[in-house]
Amino acid sequence: MSSADSGMSERVDEREPVRPGFVRLTASDRPGVAQPVPVRDIPPRPWPRIFASAMLILLVAVGAWEWRMRAEGLEAGDIDDGPSAWAEQRRRVDAGEANVVLVGDSRMLFDSDLDRYEALTGVRPIQLAIAGSNARPFLVELAEHSPFAGLVIVGIAHTTFFGPDAGLGRGALERYRFESPSVRASFQLHRALSHAFAFLDDRFRLSRLVHFLDDDWRDGVRIGTAERLWKLGVTGDDRQTWLWPRIETDVRLRDHQRAAWGLGAGRKPPPIAQAAIATAQRELHDAVATIRARGGEVVFLRPPSDPRFRMFEEQQMPRAQAWDALLAAGGVMGLHSDDDPVMHALVPPEYSHLSRACATVYTDAYVRALALRTPRVALRPGAPPALVPADCGMPPADLALRGSKSKD
Amino acid sequence: MVFNSLTFVVFFTCVLALHSLPLPWTVRKINLLVASYLFYAAWNPPFVILLWISTVVDWWAAKKLVSVQGANARRAWMLLSVVANLGMLAYFKYGEFLMENFAALMAGLGVAWQPPQLDIVLPVGISFYTFATMSYTLDVYLRRAAPARNFLDYALFVTFFPHLVAGPILRPTELVPQFESPRRADANQLCFGLALMTIGLFQKVVLADGFLAGPVEKVYDGAKIPGVLDAWVATLAFGGQIFCDFAGYSTTAIGAAMCLGFAMPDNFRFPYAAIGFSDFWRRWHITLSAWLRDYLYIPLGGNRHGPARTYFALLATMLLGGLWHGASWTFVVWGGLHGSYLAGERFLRARYAHLRPSAAQAFALGVLTFLLVHVAWVFFRAHTFGGAWRVLAGMFAANAGAVPVLPAIEIVTTVIIVTGIVAAHAFMRARTLESVLATVPAPVLSGAWALLAFAIVIEQGSGNAFIYFQF
Repeated sequence: MSSADSGMSERVDEREPVRPGFVRLTASDRPGVAQPVPVRDIPPRPWPRIFASAMLILLVAVGAWEWRMRAEGLEAGDIDDGPSAWAEQRRRVDAGEANVVLVGDSRMLFDSDLDRYEALTGVRPIQLAIAGSNARPFLVELAEHSPFAGLVIVGIAHTTFFGPDAGLGRGALERYRFESPSVRASFQLHRALSHAFAFLDDRFRLSRLVHFLDDDWRDGVRIGTAERLWKLGVTGDDRQTWLWPRIETDVRLRDHQRAAWGLGAGRKPPPIAQAAIATAQRELHDAVATIRARGGEVVFLRPPSDPRFRMFEEQQMPRAQAWDALLAAGGVMGLHSDDDPVMHALVPPEYSHLSRACATVYTDAYVRALALRTPRVALRPGAPPALVPADCGMPPADLALRGSKSKD
Repeated sequence: MVFNSLTFVVFFTCVLALHSLPLPWTVRKINLLVASYLFYAAWNPPFVILLWISTVVDWWAAKKLVSVQGANARRAWMLLSVVANLGMLAYFKYGEFLMENFAALMAGLGVAWQPPQLDIVLPVGISFYTFATMSYTLDVYLRRAAPARNFLDYALFVTFFPHLVAGPILRPTELVPQFESPRRADANQLCFGLALMTIGLFQKVVLADGFLAGPVEKVYDGAKIPGVLDAWVATLAFGGQIFCDFAGYSTTAIGAAMCLGFAMPDNFRFPYAAIGFSDFWRRWHITLSAWLRDYLYIPLGGNRHGPARTYFALLATMLLGGLWHGASWTFVVWGGLHGSYLAGERFLRARYAHLRPSAAQAFALGVLTFLLVHVAWVFFRAHTFGGAWRVLAGMFAANAGAVPVLPAIEIVTTVIIVTGIVAAHAFMRARTLESVLATVPAPVLSGAWALLAFAIVIEQGSGNAFIYFQF
């Protein structure tokens, strides 16, 4: 293409003198004409040498950062749970890869040991619980937009089921409905890199580390729970998620985490509106009916929480109005941790989520309890023997696959 | 595909490797074309069809503009191109907006009409590539340029991935000639291009997404009523965020093109050091403001038909420019404010033409420009007029029930970053990045480059789309 200024059909008088001081003109300096091929000058510096030196420094700095982050307790293989990881598991449901699905909030996510479930039943469930979410929209979505006809185990943390929407899980549903090829590829690349680099962790980004410096410095501004939390979980490839081990072992972090729940004296939990309760009960009823019509089943779990948290939850909504009424409205069976001596004895170190070893014990307990109550769950021949609360003190690494070694 | 994604890192590495192979120039151009389609399809494959439609319509329209005789026939082919491109834009970008406003108008006339639920998905970058292709036919129509010699060069001009989805909005005369002869970056170009990409990604990943987006969201999207401090900090943060986001994209795009041996024009010239609004628009989103000037303001009469017509042309151009940014009346108000600023400045310049401001007065005018630009940003960022008034009222101490919103750390980081941006713009006001870098010792450049790259790596980023993708 060639410039053809001389042939312009319209005369333009927008020309202004070139502004002084500008060593490179732009289209803003050339009104009403064909813009010429831009010329970009390269500063006369030894760029290949500068590049090589910069990359060397970068390599050393990243290596040092990786070492520092591993010293902080981060580990390679933690894939950093997020919407794409959830969408991947949700697609496995559509592909009919499993007939047991776990739905719920962070307690269901952290307190379920997929390895233990598989060791006991021969079935590895698909983990669809999401931290900070409300199980209801996910259950409804599963009922309305999937052919799933297996067992849905819904875990709730007392009143989360009555929330208005999917909460922090909203992005996951959107990602499942539309995930661009680019985003999907980036997730796979990120996962591959996460197996090599521990520092790739959303909770330890530069900006977040800077923000952690603020300890409610400004009067009247309390940093929200989600922002205040340090790292809480470690997530594997199929979203098997554990409480971050440092929460168990580091008193400072554990206390920080406990404080983040805001259970201090004087804090009153907000009440749940009757309309929200009615909506939740109606939607549950309809979702259960839809899943049952396909031959599926729904059961509920109420994972344990610390007595202090439990009291707070009861203040917000007594069990009879929350849990009991919900099960009645949905016509579903449920296992409340208060009703089972093993489950009740499990105490979350930071009040809300069980330690890794305790999650294995809790999973053992609820799978065995479900096996007694529904034909949808059956212990396989040769399943490992039952675990007991004292096993929470055992090294968690291989607890999932063996029986109790505790003396009690 | 966004530049700040791992997918792009792999994609760009492959493209660079392919482009450096000793293949015939035509084959390498075909590689670039296919790569560019992949770049676009990686977001949503079916929308590549729109890109093809825009490409083919303008190719044929331009050919016909050369071959047909008579002004009417030429005008008809030009209008075909404009209608096809603006039609796509109108449907995908403004379809629901038009329906909603039509329904509101009908309701005002007492006619109850419910618009159909269209659920239109906005194709990423449609505003950018439709403007780029329209400039091709319009330049040919205005006889500023001849059509491209072959379809491959033209298609590559439209689709070339560095500028495809968020600019800079290139004119055909800027890029098509570069495809006529073989291009490959030498070592200096390649390394400097990578340095530019690092600077751009630092702006986007670390400053815009990492540090500035948070306070903006808390005030603009939160439920709390902001006071003076929170409203101003959030608005300054947005000014910094949108600059770092968009200028970061442009710098990355210019760097990516340079790595492949191509030159793209500047899109930003340190705009927060502008003294006056005409100066601001010569520094902010230069390729869009120049496009609007050449294809809208000047055809509307420009400054050739007296003051009244000039003010009309200015306001109309800026109102439409505002609407270009999004299908919402808040964008129109943003454009209207800038149109008013420009008209007011023009009036004052004419009235006080003899005055030459002193350095102190120029500084004061620069501060005034900066503040008024940020007042306008409120309408750009707020999703509703209610939200805009809430923040504006906060900025001018008119919120009765204001409560503290932002944590101290976000106020501190915002003030540091925005001060740094403004200071850098003031220093660079009459300089280019290249002229400054030419004076910096090599070890300092290595250290600074490594520092920026390290910050990008440890900030990690989450692949957030660039703000301007939605436009």
